[in-house]
Amino acid sequence: MNDKYLTVTQINKYIKYKFDNDVNLKIVYLKGEISNFKDHTTGHLYFTLKDEKSRILAVMFKNNAIKLNFTPTNGSKVLVVGRISAYEANGNYQIYVEEMLEDGIGNLYLEFEKLKKKLQQEGYFDQAHKKPIPKFPKKIGIITAPTGAAIRDIITTINRRYKLVELYIFPALVQGENAKNDIVEKLNIANNYDLDVIILGRGGGSIEDLWAFNEEIVANAIYNSRIPIISAVGHEIDYTISDFVADLRAPTPTAAAEIAVPNIIDLLNYIKQIEIRNSKAILRVINKNEEKLESIKNSYILKNPNNLYEAKYQKLDNLIDKLGFCITSILADKNNRFLNCLNKLETLNPINTIKRGYSISKVNDKVITDIKDIKKDDVLKTEIKSGTITSKVIEVEVSK
Amino acid sequence: MKNEKTFEEKLKELETIVSNLESGDVPLDLAINKFNDAMNLAKECSEELEQANETVNKLLTKDGNFEDFKGDVNA
Repeated sequence: MNDKYLTVTQINKYIKYKFDNDVNLKIVYLKGEISNFKDHTTGHLYFTLKDEKSRILAVMFKNNAIKLNFTPTNGSKVLVVGRISAYEANGNYQIYVEEMLEDGIGNLYLEFEKLKKKLQQEGYFDQAHKKPIPKFPKKIGIITAPTGAAIRDIITTINRRYKLVELYIFPALVQGENAKNDIVEKLNIANNYDLDVIILGRGGGSIEDLWAFNEEIVANAIYNSRIPIISAVGHEIDYTISDFVADLRAPTPTAAAEIAVPNIIDLLNYIKQIEIRNSKAILRVINKNEEKLESIKNSYILKNPNNLYEAKYQKLDNLIDKLGFCITSILADKNNRFLNCLNKLETLNPINTIKRGYSISKVNDKVITDIKDIKKDDVLKTEIKSGTITSKVIEVEVSK
Repeated sequence: MKNEKTFEEKLKELETIVSNLESGDVPLDLAINKFNDAMNLAKECSEELEQANETVNKLLTKDGNFEDFKGDVNA
């Protein structure tokens, strides 16, 4: 009679059996919002997932919970993967969560936009703050995962283009919860070395994979870097906060390597061009000097040296003429003055006076012009027009 | 390397010499010396580029030193 009745344990066991044998419930992808979240001291997580109309109990054991890359809280929208089974002891069914992600593409996008706007307003993206990328770096720092396509692409690309550099690789976590701190640490370490430029980046991935490069502390570390940074995160279509803050954004790690170093072929061509310029320049200098020499040789004076004297000759002739004229006029002047003197002499000649009837008396050949020149008994010679009279002075009478 | 100057310094010197020569104000004997200097520098620069081996690659280790990096570069 009582055999018809099952124990609670029996029915719960049966129900659990039914759950466990349903292939559809062995792996379930579920999205919902967390409520009644309990973080047990054992490390297991207990919570409820709900949507507008319904709810389901959930448990995530410690071994899975430690792999979470975010901290779930009430209200978190999440995507979970797990199996559904019954918990016999409580008679409830629940989802045993193995993986849980933030259902956040939408949220992440909003977060990204919010941070981008904030940093933009604070001047983190200002062109004025951006440092120039050196043209010929000698030491390049690379902050990325030490394995994988990104580091390989960077090294092979640099080697293909320009080998005169040393590459310093600062291995960093580039995804997961700890990536942001590791990237910041490596940026700080790299800044202790005399690097010319840093390439910071990683290969492609989902927005969650790239998320570390959208974190504010990473943005700060990039902004404060002493060394210029080329950001190269994901593929060409991926834009991260790092790209905006960095001194230069490269669409991919390979492109970053191409930006970081010049191309040997371009450089060799450039050097060839300089050589050609050099040759042209020296030819021009030589031609210029030849032309100068030629023009000196063709100069009027060197071609017609007579001209050097002709002008002088003429001047000399002028001077001689002038000299002749001067001498002539001086002589004429002297001659005039001589004739004048002769006239004067003629006028003053005493002979002429005598001719007019006057006489000159002398004593001892001295002309008497005063009564004092003569005394009694002097012999007096008197010249008149036709002869000379010799007489003796009888008396001297001074006029009153 | 023939002297202590870096590739960049040599290239810069080369550019300066040639620009000066192009200005045309250099006396002939000096110009010919400078022309020869430039040709030598151009040769050195080209050789340096062509003769360089692989880049030197160093990896920061956990103890804070650098060791030669032997990544799967050729993979």
